[in-house]
Amino acid sequence: MALSSISLKVARDRWRGWAISAASLTLLLLFGMASYREVDLSVYTELPEAWRSLMGIGDDVDVGGLAISYVFGSFGALVVAVMALVMGSAAIAGEERNGTMNVLLANPRSRTHVLLSKALALVLLTALAVAAIWITVHPMAALLSVEIGGLDVEALALHLYVNAVFYGMLALAIGAATGNRDTATGAASGILVLSFFAVGLLPLIEGLEDLRKAFPWYYFDGSEPVYNGIAWGHLAVLVTASVALLAAAVIGFNRRDLRSQSVGTSLLDRVRSNPYLNRMIGRLAGSARVSSIWVKTVSDYQTLLLVTSAAMFLIMGVLLGPMYASLPEEARAAFHDFPEELIALFGGGELGTPEGWYTLETFGLMAPLSVILVTAIMGAGALAGEESRRTMALLLSNPISRSRIVLEKAATMVLFGIAVGVATFAGVSLGSVLGGLGMSIGNIAATSALQVLVGLVFGALALALGAGLGRTSVAVFGAAGAALAFHLLTSLTAINDGLAGIAWLSPFHYYLGSDPLNTGMDWGNAAVLVMLSVVLFGLSLVLFRRRDLRQRG
Amino acid sequence: MATAAEGATRAAIHTDGLTKYYGRNRGIEDVDLDVREGEVFGFLGPNGAGKTTTIRTLLDEIRPTAGTATILGLDTHRNAVEVRRHIGYIPGDLALYPNLTGRDTLTYFANMRGGVDWSHVDALAERLASDLSRKVGDLSTGNRQKVGIIQAFMNRPDLLIMDEPTAGLDPLVQREFQTMLREVTAEGCTVFLSSHTLSEVQRVADRVGIIRDGYLITVESVAELRSKAMRRVEFVLDSDADASVFKSVAGVRNVVASGAHVEMSFDGDMGDLLKAATDRYAIEDIRTSETDLEEIFLTYYHTGEEAG
Repeated sequence: MALSSISLKVARDRWRGWAISAASLTLLLLFGMASYREVDLSVYTELPEAWRSLMGIGDDVDVGGLAISYVFGSFGALVVAVMALVMGSAAIAGEERNGTMNVLLANPRSRTHVLLSKALALVLLTALAVAAIWITVHPMAALLSVEIGGLDVEALALHLYVNAVFYGMLALAIGAATGNRDTATGAASGILVLSFFAVGLLPLIEGLEDLRKAFPWYYFDGSEPVYNGIAWGHLAVLVTASVALLAAAVIGFNRRDLRSQSVGTSLLDRVRSNPYLNRMIGRLAGSARVSSIWVKTVSDYQTLLLVTSAAMFLIMGVLLGPMYASLPEEARAAFHDFPEELIALFGGGELGTPEGWYTLETFGLMAPLSVILVTAIMGAGALAGEESRRTMALLLSNPISRSRIVLEKAATMVLFGIAVGVATFAGVSLGSVLGGLGMSIGNIAATSALQVLVGLVFGALALALGAGLGRTSVAVFGAAGAALAFHLLTSLTAINDGLAGIAWLSPFHYYLGSDPLNTGMDWGNAAVLVMLSVVLFGLSLVLFRRRDLRQRG
Repeated sequence: MATAAEGATRAAIHTDGLTKYYGRNRGIEDVDLDVREGEVFGFLGPNGAGKTTTIRTLLDEIRPTAGTATILGLDTHRNAVEVRRHIGYIPGDLALYPNLTGRDTLTYFANMRGGVDWSHVDALAERLASDLSRKVGDLSTGNRQKVGIIQAFMNRPDLLIMDEPTAGLDPLVQREFQTMLREVTAEGCTVFLSSHTLSEVQRVADRVGIIRDGYLITVESVAELRSKAMRRVEFVLDSDADASVFKSVAGVRNVVASGAHVEMSFDGDMGDLLKAATDRYAIEDIRTSETDLEEIFLTYYHTGEEAG
């Protein structure tokens, strides 16, 4: 099949996102190699094997391997897989949601043709992005005189590519079969995250190592391709699964009715559709979810909040307590021997302690990420979202000021950030109790409070970007990009003394910098984070009040 | 409403040298507009003429590059919130929240205005045959537009600003909509209606402003425009027609005679024409058609092009 115009259009729509991701990953690798070059590597060789596996570090540690493992092995693989996943879910379900699928299919092209063209674009664009990253690895290593001769970069790149295509096809298949983009994105990323953590965490538990073979991520790095070369068997599993998913997509897409602009049915809708319950709800609250701007905002993002909070509470909170308690004694003993530099990398504290465990597993990355996820999506949707969906015109024809719209939406965002924090706090506290870990509830509360505050900084950044520019994508990617960059900066400053001087630049420095899980609340740090958010909220107000609204999405 | 009473002495909409540039591109240039209270003002122009730019400036969605605008005597930017208390608005290319039902949508906006008379809303919905229990995202374009119209009417505004409000409505609903317009103007509401559908404006408007390429070309009453209008007159006569008989009548132009059939353009006294015809012939059939605003509009459009 020749490269059809459909594939070309997809490429035109998507190349920017891919180019930005590839360039960022390349920069990250450069930054990573430069930083790791100055780290005393004995830190890593002393690690217990289970830990190295969790961190994606192989047996023969060297600078190049560490940088490549860190940037590609986990982080890069996640980014590329997510990009492919987003593309997959947009392919069919996204066009349906935008209401453009009917026009596309009015052309003399079969559904199968449309779907295969989109799949082809996904396969090719992902390949281009991975190739672009791969090409830079060798010159960069030479530039920094980092030895990577013993590493099979090509094998890693190929594994990473096939892995990404798998998640792209997964999202494509779900989207093609259901026509619901949110379902496709949600289900596929759920599987992605679950399998990423399962493959990292299961080896820590005696007797459960083999269970990880049930998760697709295992076939990406289970064989440690960067050290051991291409594992054709593993690749075959992923390729077969991808082809099967593509076939399922073709069948599913051909058999069902197309949606006109799709409207999701929320949990609340289902409740309301029950006449008895509806009468009760009506009696309790009237039309509660549209009673004001902030209430409507609450109902718009209820699912996002529910899923994120539940994940934080159950998986990142409750589950990890008993899991730590069930770790074999030797593993926990090994934690006590962890080198200081490494401990610093994960936010400080004693890694052999429950506090260290929760810092590494929950508070280090996932906790701030969960708040940022919720607040950045809300911040971007608040103003830029209504503007690009063109509902802002009608909203603003009501006798309410622009400032009030900003304030109500910002207040809801703060509320949701706090809700995620409370869920995390409750989960970790309960996990500590269930596992008999005896952590200080006050310190958990302090850490969760700081988690909310650091997350809100990036939510406020998304709001300000949206307020100033009116574009949802700029707001989301701007805030996410800033969060990523600052998180990386904080991680690297912890292990590289040369960078310690600029540690204060990152908001994350004020989050775990004082080791709040062990030492409790640091009010100075909290004040810095609050001030940052307040400045950004104020900026949103000023920017939004001054600006011409955009007319089109 | 106290402010509405005060507004009786003011123009409903007044703009003074209103100008909006998007970067280097001209949106509107030096628009001076006066819409009187209680009238239906039609705002006509081809696509991209500046109708929507004018309306969005009035609503404070965008800010003028130069000039000012007032609504009911209130500055559209400085008193934006107060202005919006008095207006009902339908944006061009209306977008609503797809996951809300019609009723939820109306509740949402009603709450921002401190409530609404629901019996009035239900009456409006019934007149337009709008099902408010369905989700907006599941509605057709026309049915979505109905929700937008109800939303604009439901608060009994002093001024209705509507940007091509009948888009997607079927002819029956359009007629009902026009009846609704007449009713609210009878109650003192001012209507500012942009359109490129001239027949629609002709049916409801008192005065018409014509905008082209960002310039307001003219403002005239519909009656005035019509009086300028040429009629087409056709006769079927009892014998072969002589064109010169008709050419001598004042106001007759472009006579085309063919056998017993003759047609011409005419803007004079109809009595004179009929007398000239019946003096010479017996008339077997007569047909006259009014040239509509469409032709007038094209005339202005054409003139503007020559001038520019």
